[in-house]
Amino acid sequence: MQSYFTFFRSFLVVIFLFVSFSLYAGIIRGKVTDSKTGEPLVGAVVVLEGQGHTWHAIVQLDGSYSFKNIPAGSYSLKTTIVEYAEAPVINTELKETSEQKIVNFSMEAKTADLASVNIATSGKSSDAGVRGLEKNASTLQNILSEKTIQLLPDVTVANALQRVSGVAIQRSTSGEGRYAIIRGMDERYNNTLVNGVKIPSPDSKYRYVPMDLFPSEMLERLEVIKSLIPSMEADAVGGTMNLVMKNAPLRMLFSANASMGLSTLFSSSRPFSAFDHGAVNPRSPAEINGNSYMATQADFSRGNLNLNSKNLPLNTTAGLTIGDRWIHKKLGAILSLSYQNIFRGSNSDFLVPNAQPQVVNNKDNQFVISDLYTRHYSTQTVRFGLHNKIDYTLAPGHTISLYNMFVQMNEFQARSTYDSVYLNKLSDNFTRSRLQKQSIYSSTLQGDHKILDQFHINWIGVYANAKSKVPDMAEYDYQSATTPGKYIVQKMSRIWQANTDRDLAGYLNLVFTPHLSSLKPELSLGGMYRHKTRNNYYNDYSLSPTLTGGLPQTWTDINSAQYQFSPASLGTGDVTTTNPNTYTSYENVSAGYLQFKFMGNADLQVLGGARVEHTLQGFNTVMPKSYTGRSGTVSYTDMLPSLNLKYALTDKQNLRASYFRSIVRPDFYEIIPTQVVGELFDIKGNDSLKHSIADNFDLRYEFFPSGADQFLIGAFYKIIQNPIEYAVVRNGGPSAQFLMPENFGNAHNYGIEAVITKYKGMFGISANYTYTKSRITTTKQYFYRDPVLGITSKIVQQTRPMQGQADHIGNLSLLYKNPKIGLDMQLAFVYTGKRLSQVSPYYSLDYYQLGQGILDFSFEKRIGHRFSVYGKLNNLTNAPSKTVIFQAPDPGSKFPDQQYATRTVVGKDIYQLTILTGLRFKL
Amino acid sequence: MRMYRIALVSTILIASCKKWSTEKLNLATADVPVATPISDAAPLCGSIKGTMLAGKTYIVGCDVTINAGDTLTIQPGVHINVKNKAGIFVKGSLVSLGTKAQQVFITVDSLRALKNDAPNQDPSHDPAFSGGWAGLYCASTCPMLILKWTHVEYGGSGLSIAQGSIVNQSSGTAFSILFQNPNGIYVMEDSWLYGGVDDPIRISNGKICIMRCTFEKAGIKGGDCLNTKGGTVGDMAYNLFVGIATNGQKASNKGQPVGASQTNIRMWNNTFISCGWRQIQTGRGANINFEEGAKGMAYNNLMVNCKFGLRIVNNPPADTANIRYGNNYEYADSLITANQIYPTNAGLSGGWTIPQETDIPNYHSFLPAGYHFGDTYDGTPVLKANNPLFYNFPLPVPNQVPLYGIQAVNNYDFRLQPGSPAIGKGYTGFTPLAVVPISPTFGVTEITLPGSDIGAFQLNGTGNQHY
Repeated sequence: MQSYFTFFRSFLVVIFLFVSFSLYAGIIRGKVTDSKTGEPLVGAVVVLEGQGHTWHAIVQLDGSYSFKNIPAGSYSLKTTIVEYAEAPVINTELKETSEQKIVNFSMEAKTADLASVNIATSGKSSDAGVRGLEKNASTLQNILSEKTIQLLPDVTVANALQRVSGVAIQRSTSGEGRYAIIRGMDERYNNTLVNGVKIPSPDSKYRYVPMDLFPSEMLERLEVIKSLIPSMEADAVGGTMNLVMKNAPLRMLFSANASMGLSTLFSSSRPFSAFDHGAVNPRSPAEINGNSYMATQADFSRGNLNLNSKNLPLNTTAGLTIGDRWIHKKLGAILSLSYQNIFRGSNSDFLVPNAQPQVVNNKDNQFVISDLYTRHYSTQTVRFGLHNKIDYTLAPGHTISLYNMFVQMNEFQARSTYDSVYLNKLSDNFTRSRLQKQSIYSSTLQGDHKILDQFHINWIGVYANAKSKVPDMAEYDYQSATTPGKYIVQKMSRIWQANTDRDLAGYLNLVFTPHLSSLKPELSLGGMYRHKTRNNYYNDYSLSPTLTGGLPQTWTDINSAQYQFSPASLGTGDVTTTNPNTYTSYENVSAGYLQFKFMGNADLQVLGGARVEHTLQGFNTVMPKSYTGRSGTVSYTDMLPSLNLKYALTDKQNLRASYFRSIVRPDFYEIIPTQVVGELFDIKGNDSLKHSIADNFDLRYEFFPSGADQFLIGAFYKIIQNPIEYAVVRNGGPSAQFLMPENFGNAHNYGIEAVITKYKGMFGISANYTYTKSRITTTKQYFYRDPVLGITSKIVQQTRPMQGQADHIGNLSLLYKNPKIGLDMQLAFVYTGKRLSQVSPYYSLDYYQLGQGILDFSFEKRIGHRFSVYGKLNNLTNAPSKTVIFQAPDPGSKFPDQQYATRTVVGKDIYQLTILTGLRFKL
Repeated sequence: MRMYRIALVSTILIASCKKWSTEKLNLATADVPVATPISDAAPLCGSIKGTMLAGKTYIVGCDVTINAGDTLTIQPGVHINVKNKAGIFVKGSLVSLGTKAQQVFITVDSLRALKNDAPNQDPSHDPAFSGGWAGLYCASTCPMLILKWTHVEYGGSGLSIAQGSIVNQSSGTAFSILFQNPNGIYVMEDSWLYGGVDDPIRISNGKICIMRCTFEKAGIKGGDCLNTKGGTVGDMAYNLFVGIATNGQKASNKGQPVGASQTNIRMWNNTFISCGWRQIQTGRGANINFEEGAKGMAYNNLMVNCKFGLRIVNNPPADTANIRYGNNYEYADSLITANQIYPTNAGLSGGWTIPQETDIPNYHSFLPAGYHFGDTYDGTPVLKANNPLFYNFPLPVPNQVPLYGIQAVNNYDFRLQPGSPAIGKGYTGFTPLAVVPISPTFGVTEITLPGSDIGAFQLNGTGNQHY
């Protein structure tokens, strides 16, 4: 931490040195802005002529330009910008060298003839442009613009999300961001839209979408909407993430970029481990030969378990965007392609707690460690994204557009685990290879029709399909024998898993805007219907080593190890696939809403109404008739009112208040009484699970001084009825202990949020901070010594924060933007405070991830007119991620890094610095 | 219940006043309820209840269930042949009343025909381990499982998910017998268990009494023969174990249900021959194991050529402060065994067993001065020493038969010869926990008190009756 502050301090000193220059005398300066939006026209050239000289100045980030050291005399100023009407030449005079003259240009956009084409372009892609969107929006939003995203050190949407106020990210095992936690509400409580339309998730268990599927360069802007209105889908409590993809441009657009990089984690001593992707059998023996086929070891390839080393694999990314507009600008199209091939990894130490706490030395409920896992992850992620939009203006007021998006992420992961059975000197060596293919295809056809002057219809038809496949996840193990240096073959597991999630949806919105000048009313009425079908397949084989004669088999290598099913019948698909993880389910959501918007007076905008959503979920498993819960349906209807008030204190300041009611639906598998293997504990579905209902209150003050500057401060309060949380359930045998999603009374979540962005000349500072506090009470198991029963346990209540919620999260970015030489730089620091990362079934033994600050740096430098070089450096300080349990460490603990007196460090992950540099071409 | 217990405890108190005696307890006699006779005309399938009639042969053709509240009574001499990997699922009660003369069989006839107990069979091809039927699975609603003079053979075919869902087990579970009711009673006396795949007998929790039984070829490459988990209380005595994959008797408090008793097992006068060799995990395979939070006693046990001696496990720790043991007898043909009479850390076994003065051989004769439990030592001095002198079992085992090759009783006889050094070395100064009623039908017929001869067979003919 110390090092960050030192760094920032020197950075700030540099900023102030630069800032002092602007105080010089003999100056002509001013701003160049869009006459309508007030957006600064960054990069425009202002020409100053007079006294036999010509000077040029470039408009900077805050819209300002300046000429310094100008001798007294008469001057003329002009500026021209493509797409803007030529502004008249302005004459001015400097009477003495100490005088400062301010000359502002307000430029008229040449879009009059395009007004009927309902397309907005440059405005919404820039930083200042999105400020206008935030200011004018009816809801509470935070937006990242295309230009901001381009300059961010991040290449995926998930990582970019952490820069948004109030958002923290949940990382995958390789350190890559995956899910967003918005205002302390974990991924379950948020939804994801693409261009305002819900997309299905390829996740095998959950309905929320892994945000690392999306390359961030495909976006025009990223909106995080924190208050809902009746016309929006109501299943978000933390917020809605709306990915607005690039639109067809007004004129020919061609841009391309390519980059290379590496992760400094990998070296000859810690190489990247790769496996033969071709050896992964896409189909299980049961899929190939039928469920009655009795598989043997010969049916399972070994090639995908032979790892080979790459010392320093190179990351590559490439992107291409082409767009244009034809037929008097009526037909527009854009095609964007993005490719990323990234090798990442992590070194992870993890203490595995024993399945239940113990009474040790007369201390109750002590967690004891059974294993120490030292894991090396090597993950190659290949992302491919394609999106395409075609819009056509049929007639003035009538446009139709077709949007297609395809994103794919193939993840090849090798994991080696050295498992030293704690204290026993016994070690296991696990090797796992896993390939996951995930994709989302979404196609929407959209129409916008202005029927009468006051009447507007908008419709959307959606087909979307999300898929995931994990074919042949294979893991084997060998264990140290009593004779040092010798090993014994252990079990091998092979799992095939696949799921698809398909949506067919239709949306219809009718908007009526009667001409009542003072009230400016807008009445909307609409609805949607979505039919979703989901299929899951799960096939799990467990092979055990063949005995050599009557003794355990000595290990040589994976190719010579001999395995069998015992008994042999366990190799048949009838046993391995017949599990409640294999199911089909569907969900029909129909919704209707009535929404009104009007001006209460000149300064007060009122938006409100109600939405009704009806949900019907059904599932069907492959289980026999004797199985309770083999199929079922559940349905519910919710009435969801909302009210948003926006009061304009001045034209640059708003005061907002909002209330909305929203819901969270259980995930598909959560209502199916299945048992799935979890990371730490098995998880079983709960057929009596109810959906959650949340009442959300928001208050926010906003100030948009000029340009991209902003200051926001707000507070929120949420009451969540029937929140879904995992808690311990124990029935049956000793291993029949699992976590089950359950409803627990009411949860409360409140906090404050502040955002400040300030540009001064070439420098900018952007910061946000969110304080969140949530509370929920759930059941836990507590072990103690009873005078009669001996060691036993009881169920107790415990109040704790909601999973994923950090009390403090914040961002601080320092920006440098020099349009003259075309250099942009950004130093970005993101801090996520201590948060509950995994709920334990046991009292006070939850896992907390300690606060973590990550420092990233990025730059982009223009070279000539068309090219620029850019670079992104992530995790400059190699910040480790640490997980603790709040219990004093065992004095005999051999785990490193036990620097705390009252908590035990049970997990530590190291990712190291990653570097990416590239070249961008733009026509 | 309480009446039985009071009666029983007082009886034991009286009995223990005498220096050494075997008390045949026969307190309450309850009438076997008049039950519906079960027909043997067609293979059984689906829900069953009532009485299987003496001497008849029944075929179980597909899964049968004894519903909650129902009882299946098996009269002496019944032979049950299970086919099609079916299982017997007990949500109610099962009472099998074999006698020495008229034993009950629950078996698979087709595998029985292939039985070969000559030493040194390859387990991969031995029908004992092939899992012929699912097994006898009790649900958590089962109040009573009583097996007297009953053979349970060739179980552990691995549950289908449909079978598993009846008794809350995952698919692939391959026990031969499962009991899982902390308030229920499980009695197994004078019975046999042969073969199996995983744990032949898994006792998730319950009140138990397992007396004078014989276990052979139990578990193919893992599995504890009597594997008790959290919430099991009771006694294990006078049992004979031959060729068990891992442990003969294990006590663990793992998976204890909320509010249940701590696992507490008293184990005395058991005999273990060649156990632990097939377990594929290093460091496991003793004859008696106390693990994770379990307490109890282990006295007068005789262990011959097993992979490890008595093992008190330190991680997760057994309730070491509340475990008592001593008078245990070890014989070792191999240095592997001799070096692990007290399991060592170097043997990757995490030993916590403290040598006792009453142990045979005397630990002073081979442990170095300053020995601390878990330390490595040289067992050469006790190699092939202290032959317990069985009636018919050659020791040292002849060279052509590896230690792990002894997997079944075959034609051996593990009674002690009169000159055996195990005679008279037992400790009798403790009492059984006696948590099940004494009854010829709905309880245990006889709780045999601790005996003065180490091992399952007493010179006076008491103890294990399988000879």
